Amino acid sequence: MPRAEEYVDRVVDTDLLVVGSEGAGAQVAIEAATRGVKPLVITKGAIGRTGASQCAGADFNVDGISAKELGFSGDDRDSQERFFSDIIHEGLFLNNQKMVEKYVEYAPKSTKNLLDWGMKVYYYASVHSEEIARGLTSSGKRWVNALRKKFKSMKLPIIEDTMVIDLLVSSGRIAGAVALNFRSGEIILIKAKAVVLATGGFQMAYPFNSATYDLTGDGQAMAARIGIPLIGMEMVQFIPTTILWPPIERGSIITYIFTELDTRVRLLNSLGQRFMSRYDPKMLEKSTKEIVSIASEFEVMAGRGTPHGGVYFSMKYLGEEELERIKNGVINLTRSLGETRYEFKTLLPRLIEFMKKEDIEVSNACHFMVGGIKVNELTETQIPGLYAAGECSSGLWGANRVAAACTQVGVQGLIAGEISPGFIKRVDQEEIDPLDVKRIVERIERPFKMEKGVKVEELRRHIHDISGKRLGVIRDGKGIKEAIDMLKEAMEEIPGLYVSDKRSRKLNREWISCLELDNMLTCLYTTAIASSVRKESRGAFYRSDFVLTNHDNFLKNTIVRVKQGKFEVGFEPIVTTTLPLPKGKMTFEEAVGVATASLVRADAKRGV
Amino acid sequence: MEEKKIKVECFRYCPETDDAPYYVTYEVPLAGRMSVLDCLNYIRENLDPGLTYFINCKKGFCARCALEVDGKKVLGCTCEVEGDIKVKPIREDKVIKDLWCKNI
Repeated sequence: MPRAEEYVDRVVDTDLLVVGSEGAGAQVAIEAATRGVKPLVITKGAIGRTGASQCAGADFNVDGISAKELGFSGDDRDSQERFFSDIIHEGLFLNNQKMVEKYVEYAPKSTKNLLDWGMKVYYYASVHSEEIARGLTSSGKRWVNALRKKFKSMKLPIIEDTMVIDLLVSSGRIAGAVALNFRSGEIILIKAKAVVLATGGFQMAYPFNSATYDLTGDGQAMAARIGIPLIGMEMVQFIPTTILWPPIERGSIITYIFTELDTRVRLLNSLGQRFMSRYDPKMLEKSTKEIVSIASEFEVMAGRGTPHGGVYFSMKYLGEEELERIKNGVINLTRSLGETRYEFKTLLPRLIEFMKKEDIEVSNACHFMVGGIKVNELTETQIPGLYAAGECSSGLWGANRVAAACTQVGVQGLIAGEISPGFIKRVDQEEIDPLDVKRIVERIERPFKMEKGVKVEELRRHIHDISGKRLGVIRDGKGIKEAIDMLKEAMEEIPGLYVSDKRSRKLNREWISCLELDNMLTCLYTTAIASSVRKESRGAFYRSDFVLTNHDNFLKNTIVRVKQGKFEVGFEPIVTTTLPLPKGKMTFEEAVGVATASLVRADAKRGV
Repeated sequence: MEEKKIKVECFRYCPETDDAPYYVTYEVPLAGRMSVLDCLNYIRENLDPGLTYFINCKKGFCARCALEVDGKKVLGCTCEVEGDIKVKPIREDKVIKDLWCKNI
């Protein structure tokens, strides 16, 4: 029988394979290297220029006391216990409390790293409207540039423009992975004693999202394929008031960010009605993200949407003079902060100018994946040697995320970088089964070798239709059932996918799209079956057929496992430490109100 | 409202199979304000799945979608299209395939 090496174009040996190069991945590699192991980062793009981190706002959390120790104004009323409690209330109690404890404990350390590595901060304030100021605001670009600089200064090895396709497990332990370098077209076998997945979310599985093109659930899907459970996959976070139209601005959340700066924005339906008055008469547009999302969606469902299926973002009523003043305020603010990002410097002033005469079509974009790979507070999965950090993992946020994702990825990256070296020093490289490599290589090459079959763009459009219509902000049993059936059929089409352009294996996007679509379908199917069993509404999850938040029956996490190609869904208990779980049933609005009681939504916001 | 159609003339070259670069012209409907990348996406999704170019953030962050459009160096994501355009790689001598160069 041929050796494993003979099935691939290239073989690489490393102690620790880190899949992903940004907020989480770079931090893992830096920490592991300082602890004496040899990391290798494989990233789907180029370091500092890929994934979600570069686009982040970006806010970082530290409790008010630790903030003072880091040299910021801080807040004496705060404590790590209070921060812990706020996160669990915001997550509507589905959080793994051990993970929240780690988040709060590691947040100052991980933030200090970034400051030490040169990340500049704009200001310290209440970012998510928390009553307590816990937010350091920087930008995604500043963040990833600081990480990249540190990474490069340590001369750590990296392979870019490369997609890790599948993980290798031998004798129950991680042994490496197989990857496709799409720049060269080469298939690479990576031998590793440990692997950290830091691959981000799967937002591209939704037709309208705020993410980058590379976020296709690769980590979640490859973990699922080796039997690792995914938890909380029904919890997909949408962000309201994201630009829907025109295409050039589609998916930008600068409009949402703007509502945090200026609270005078009105949302209108196609009849010109300020529809929030029907959903939250007191808070109106300043209601929580969840309520605004649901309200906007109901308007569209009732036939009162904009031509492209959203709602209007309007400031016209303020008059041209006031809008001119707001525009100049934005220009001065960005100038004084040394802001260079396109969305702030160019797009936002243009939009304000536009709003003197017109309204902007906005909608709910798929924004953040709360569900993902099941890990414990040390980022360990159930397979020894396999870890997951950042958005591809799950458990920290429960049913909703309010606090900073940027801090999550740094914290979990740091923990994975601390923990994995100990494991690596204890073990030898596992033998790799050549048949596993053969099977994976065949799966990679299949669409390229097929002469004809299913066109990837057609199948992509089809699954976007399913996710957009049936697995969005508002779900119900009928739609979820249809989604399950349709996605199952779509999964059967995957082996029939083919690449029509066979000019070269290099930079073959059609080929990569086939592999990505497989991963997105795995994630979406998991989202659909997890949605089917949660017969309530909670946090980021809203079902029009079960509108109550039901603590008596649903304070538990959904868990999906793939066994011999079959998906099994069930529940598992929540990991608690000090905060007792509530009882009873509440309306969704009440539950969200209790969850966000720590936020000051109305007047505490900064004006521009 | 009648949809405006524009012509997008694209540089194509695969060093492994082509003797020399050539151009293909595609007709793209301008649906609202579109960027160069919106046009290339339309072509790839509807007309020619093989068209190769870089896309990642589409919001001016990654800055890897550098292209030459009508002789000007631009980012494909933020460059608005108003009429017919000619799209070339940022460095013709460094092309790996079509509009994707070694230096991006």
